[in-house]
Amino acid sequence: MTQRGHVLDDSWYLDYAAGTLGTEAQDVMMASHVELSDEARDRVAALETLGGAVLDATDGEDVPLGFSVEDILRRAGSEEDETPSALPGATAVVDETLCLPQALQDYLARTGTPVRWGFLGPGMRKAILWRGEHGERLWLLRAQPGVAIPHHGHRGSELTLVLKGSFWDGDQEYRPGDVEEAYPGVEHDIRIDEGGECVCLALTEGKLKFESPVLRAFQVFTGL
Amino acid sequence: MTHDTDRRRPISDAARLAGLLERVGRQRDAQAFRALFDHFAPRIRSFLMKRRVSSALADDLTQDVMLAIWRRASSFDAAKASAATWIYTIARNAHIDHYRKAVRARKIDEHDPHFQPPDQPLPDDLYERAEAGQSVTGVLSGLPDDQRLVLQLAFTEGLSHSEIAERLDLPLGTVKSRVRLAMNKMRQGLGEWK
Repeated sequence: MTQRGHVLDDSWYLDYAAGTLGTEAQDVMMASHVELSDEARDRVAALETLGGAVLDATDGEDVPLGFSVEDILRRAGSEEDETPSALPGATAVVDETLCLPQALQDYLARTGTPVRWGFLGPGMRKAILWRGEHGERLWLLRAQPGVAIPHHGHRGSELTLVLKGSFWDGDQEYRPGDVEEAYPGVEHDIRIDEGGECVCLALTEGKLKFESPVLRAFQVFTGL
Repeated sequence: MTHDTDRRRPISDAARLAGLLERVGRQRDAQAFRALFDHFAPRIRSFLMKRRVSSALADDLTQDVMLAIWRRASSFDAAKASAATWIYTIARNAHIDHYRKAVRARKIDEHDPHFQPPDQPLPDDLYERAEAGQSVTGVLSGLPDDQRLVLQLAFTEGLSHSEIAERLDLPLGTVKSRVRLAMNKMRQGLGEWK
């Protein structure tokens, strides 16, 4: 069972199912989570049924349509051979050992975003995928087995989705599909499981806040 | 297969729509597609316009959605979702994709207050119009008014939970707890829902 803090607050699933998330980075994070977690998929499916009922109950008779069904059938006939999946930049090579979900691979392909790894700390690498105008960052973390991420807090909220391997926060294990949500004021110690490397997708709103002055200085050049 | 168009019998209507979609998927049946179009195209356009999409763009997006229905109908699985749910997700994604593309092209600042919802009256009671047609609206009817209103604003007007808090002038935590309570209740009532 993925319960007890391994899924998100229901408001995330509502915003995702209703199509009202604030940024594309949130779309990608949620779509990846839903792809990998049965529990998340069930919640979203229930809400989408509600969306279907809302669509069906919409009164559509106020204004005549600006097109006819024959227009659609003509377009379908003339574009029959087009492959809709032929996205620009879809040729980007993705490292299969990262176990990136399809939703994330699609995002990288359609935006032409490269995965460039940089040093984050001993045994840890990061690849920043997107920076928002308000300090948000969507990034990948790749950590070696057994690595510990020292005691830290958060200035903003942070979602961490496991894509591969697992990590521990205290006595809680997070496995592929599980998300940990950290809020400002929450402090935690993360330890990567000994069993193998761990890859996570993270969405961070504010900078991490390390207690140790050495690690704080370290942030200056790691950019987190 | 009956061709019952009596709107007061929505359960058979849902089965009819699923059957039409399956015929499009399996046989590229243009006649079935025309019937789906008559039912869904006006609804999709109105649905988008309730989400503050302009009339011209709503026409364009509705055409894209109908075309996508034609192309992807073979991936529809009636055991997993109703026709309305499947089509809802296509319409929702078409709307988001368009919006995100505009943001990427820097035409829109996602945080621009201009794109925040204007003050509007509360929506009509959706439940009454839906006539308890599908099981989900039956479940909605079992929810207290304040919880039902939050879900209505999310799906009819496309407001995020924080926009709903602003609209209703409620603390964010209150809206979040209403969402949680509503979803718990739906989960209890909807074991058979999939």
